[in-house]
Amino acid sequence: MAGKIRQMIDAIINQRAKDNPMLERVIKTKLILKGINPNRYTLQSDDDPTVIGKLEKMMQDLR
Amino acid sequence: MHIRTACSSMDTVDAAVADIVKQMDLFEAEMVLFFASTKYVPDSVSKKMQDAFPMAQVFGCSTAGEIASGAMLNDSIVAMAWDGQAMKDAKIEVVGNLRDENSVRAAFSSFESYFKVSMAEMDPGEYVGIILVDGLSGVEEGLMETIGDLTNVTFIGGSAGDDLKFAATHLYAHGKSHSGSAVLALLKPGIGFTFIKTQSFRDLGKNLEVTKADEEKREVLEFNNMPAAAAYAELLGVPPEEAPKHFMHNPIGLVIDDEPYVRSPQQISGEAMRFYCGVKEGMELSILESTDIIGDTREALEQAREELGSISGIVNFNCILRTLELKQKNLAGEYGKLFAPYQTVGFSTYGEQYIGHINQTATMLVFG
Repeated sequence: MAGKIRQMIDAIINQRAKDNPMLERVIKTKLILKGINPNRYTLQSDDDPTVIGKLEKMMQDLR
Repeated sequence: MHIRTACSSMDTVDAAVADIVKQMDLFEAEMVLFFASTKYVPDSVSKKMQDAFPMAQVFGCSTAGEIASGAMLNDSIVAMAWDGQAMKDAKIEVVGNLRDENSVRAAFSSFESYFKVSMAEMDPGEYVGIILVDGLSGVEEGLMETIGDLTNVTFIGGSAGDDLKFAATHLYAHGKSHSGSAVLALLKPGIGFTFIKTQSFRDLGKNLEVTKADEEKREVLEFNNMPAAAAYAELLGVPPEEAPKHFMHNPIGLVIDDEPYVRSPQQISGEAMRFYCGVKEGMELSILESTDIIGDTREALEQAREELGSISGIVNFNCILRTLELKQKNLAGEYGKLFAPYQTVGFSTYGEQYIGHINQTATMLVFG
């Protein structure tokens, strides 16, 4: 399977930034500091379970 | 004036606190933030500062040097007070078990009950957090990650110091002293605020990808599939044994949108490199070169002043490595003078927090 990480990153940014460009930059920075660089993932990227686990936690935490 | 500052280098806690109270001149403080040298006994300084401002919420930490309006100090206490107009409300929590993210959740739950709004929904333009954390705990990255996952509110701050003794640092809140802890203060200012994150480095364009790391120990075992120390030295064009001489001048940075998030090397351990800050496998880092702290800080202050219209107070969390570099270059006095026009307090930290945990940076909370 591929592309799940890109989809999750986009969902997190949408969920949290709510179209605020400043918050979008902050959230991307938080992801990079976690070791997840959004620029590295496309809809063709492999589904790495470790990265998916980190992203799932982020999605849950802000619910 | 809705923000006031004071500082004292008196020898005893009693004399220094009395001196600060006198300088505050019956100011009706809603909140007091103070930073104190370890020359002052931790339990005593925390209690006496709280007793001196019984109507205020008082918190702070120990330092590796203090910053006041116009001066970099040592062996002192510096304090900033906000009245009810500048600080509409604030809630302070102590986080005890730094390795357990439920401790942060408990503090956040308390904030939510107090402010009647969930941390996830809290407006980052209305609220701001200050974090002060044990500078010898080595867990700041995890703490900042947890905070960042739970809220969009910015938490900015510094890791407490202990005058370069590296024995124990202290956090102060509600008249008590704590170690191995963090103090989280959630503020609802009545005035505008912004942030400064300034570090004086340029990207040398020499890249190091972390290919093997022991993240728990903040250690990189391999860069670019080579032993870490050898890879760092090779890119600098120096023998590995000379690499530590370059640590202060050439740290490593995670460069995001042309903005470095500095990771300072601490030591070479075998063939690995240990850092003052977390590094993760897969991170693409760059070697940096130090530039002009004075010029960059002046520019950052000017930008903040333009953004806010005027500056009524600055809380400066300045890395101890920057302080040491300034002292080495005989520029500490000049750095202090940059803050002379503003009500300023700050301290030399063992690490800085802004979005994440960083090194060799000054993070500042600036009030308009």
